[in-house]
Amino acid sequence: MRSASSSMSGRSSMSGRSRRRALRPAALCALAVVLGCASTAMRGADGTPVDAPLDPAARAGAPLVLVAMPPSLSFQDVRRSLVNEIQRDFNVATVTVTPSVTADDLGAAIKRLAPACIVLMNNDTVGLYREYQRSRQLSDPGAAFPPSVIVMASFIDELRPALLNATGIAYEVPGVAALVDLRSVIQAPVHRVGVIYRPSFRQFIGRQRELAEKEQIELVTVEVGEGAYADRLRSALHVLLVGQRVDAIWMINDNELIKSSEYLDQTWRAELSHARVPVVVGVPNLVNPRSPLGTFAVVPDHGGLGLQAANLIFDLAENGWRADQHPIELPISINTLADVRQARAQFGLRDDALQHIDRPLE
Amino acid sequence: MPARVPPRPRRRAIVRAGLALALVAALPLGVPSRAAADDPRPTVFVFLQVDVKSSALEQALQKEMPGLIVTVFGRLRDFQDSIVSRNPDAIVAIAPLLEQAQAKPALLGVRGGKEWEPYLLVMTGAAAAASGTTRPSLAGKTVGIVDLLGRDGTQTFAAAAVGTPDVKIKRVAKIEDLLPLLEFSAADAVLIPSSAIKRFTERTRLALAVRELPNARVGLPAVAVRNEKSRALVVPAIQKLDVETRSLLGIDSWSAH
Repeated sequence: MRSASSSMSGRSSMSGRSRRRALRPAALCALAVVLGCASTAMRGADGTPVDAPLDPAARAGAPLVLVAMPPSLSFQDVRRSLVNEIQRDFNVATVTVTPSVTADDLGAAIKRLAPACIVLMNNDTVGLYREYQRSRQLSDPGAAFPPSVIVMASFIDELRPALLNATGIAYEVPGVAALVDLRSVIQAPVHRVGVIYRPSFRQFIGRQRELAEKEQIELVTVEVGEGAYADRLRSALHVLLVGQRVDAIWMINDNELIKSSEYLDQTWRAELSHARVPVVVGVPNLVNPRSPLGTFAVVPDHGGLGLQAANLIFDLAENGWRADQHPIELPISINTLADVRQARAQFGLRDDALQHIDRPLE
Repeated sequence: MPARVPPRPRRRAIVRAGLALALVAALPLGVPSRAAADDPRPTVFVFLQVDVKSSALEQALQKEMPGLIVTVFGRLRDFQDSIVSRNPDAIVAIAPLLEQAQAKPALLGVRGGKEWEPYLLVMTGAAAAASGTTRPSLAGKTVGIVDLLGRDGTQTFAAAAVGTPDVKIKRVAKIEDLLPLLEFSAADAVLIPSSAIKRFTERTRLALAVRELPNARVGLPAVAVRNEKSRALVVPAIQKLDVETRSLLGIDSWSAH
């Protein structure tokens, strides 16, 4: 597993800023902006050629939405859905953000295109934009910035205070959405759900607890140290499974808690193998009937995310483009995947369960 | 557009937290399968807002109609774009969408003797109680609805359905996305087809207030043949769908037109 930053750009664990400096040869060509019907050959982080997205033909007088995004397919899925929705009302220009792109490059594109709104996809792109805002504020303290909408970035709540006129859609699927879906496909009860988290996730878990309560689901939580040592994690799992007798486990997407297959074997699998409780995960490859661990996976639906981002842009347009006054939204649309063999054998599947799982695995 | 739609006529913090996002192995979902170009069977594109996953509906329809190539779309835009780019022999959708595609219905779905179904307004019990009336005005409120007819068409439909032009709509791609709108308080109410209300209310423990809207009727699924050469294969195959599959479509019979 990798963090959001690295998984999207293929970067190493070096910090984004240091990495960008290292990758910033003086003679590197400027940011590639794709406009109109032009198509520019780009290269991804690993050097593989990537087709730049084709923007709709520009129309005179229409406001422009600038989409700054990495080239990977997941981002393109969101962009495609977004563009489909907004292209009748807005021109769209796409900036493909690769490791060679700098904050100055992004700033130059913004200056040239004068967008009405900027969509920023992933944490690295947000980092570049923040760098651009800071640099511009140094030279012009009163500078105004167009509204920006952040998507597919982790912990937007923490990113937002460092940005001016920004809002966005959280990328973390709320536990309640996953648990309500699980409850609707299995026969076993899902009232009390165990969650293990590190202190840096405390705020996130508090919010999840409130949301779950609305659906009469109690999150039974155990906080482990930042280090997430294997013995602490196993002990926490033991508390939840034996001491608290929870109905299910929700494994949150924290790299430290699911950092390698060896670690998973030594901790989660070791404790869960005989527990007979459904395990909800946020990464599809943890659901595998041949190597059972997760019972049910929930991931963001990228097409739905694009539609939600489009709705948000229309909202902003109707409300004077005050992104800073628009709350961070939670993701509405998810896709589900389930180990139906495990679910059927251990928890009982409801009659119509297979009609409500996007990808049932046997 | 009238609501009554007739069936016809911070970086450090981030690195520290290290959230493992699901991008690494994104699910290849929502992308309908493509049939081989040299397959002689007629192609049927389906877009329906029913409370069944597109993949499950496609599997059921394909199993029942092996002589056709069935593709079920989960999102309106994908459906509309594919009609233009891939020119299917027939389409199955609600009547207003067939009209948008300039396709005349050959079969109309019927349930309980009607070729339409009502849409219901659902709000949380708390929201209904706070309004102090059983029929609160939705002026200035946000109402969630599945994207039926695109942005403008869906807005017009919702406004007429709830009886005020001042309603703000929040479109979602799928019926199951409506519940999170209420759970997250992202909408004051949602509009939902009557055929989906049972599962909707069974899924949630939210206390809900449900009411029928007299001006919110939408035609049931209909079939249009776009390539006359395929009519003799398409229409009988769809007419012969079994009870269970018709039920997935939200109908109990077809009427020929």
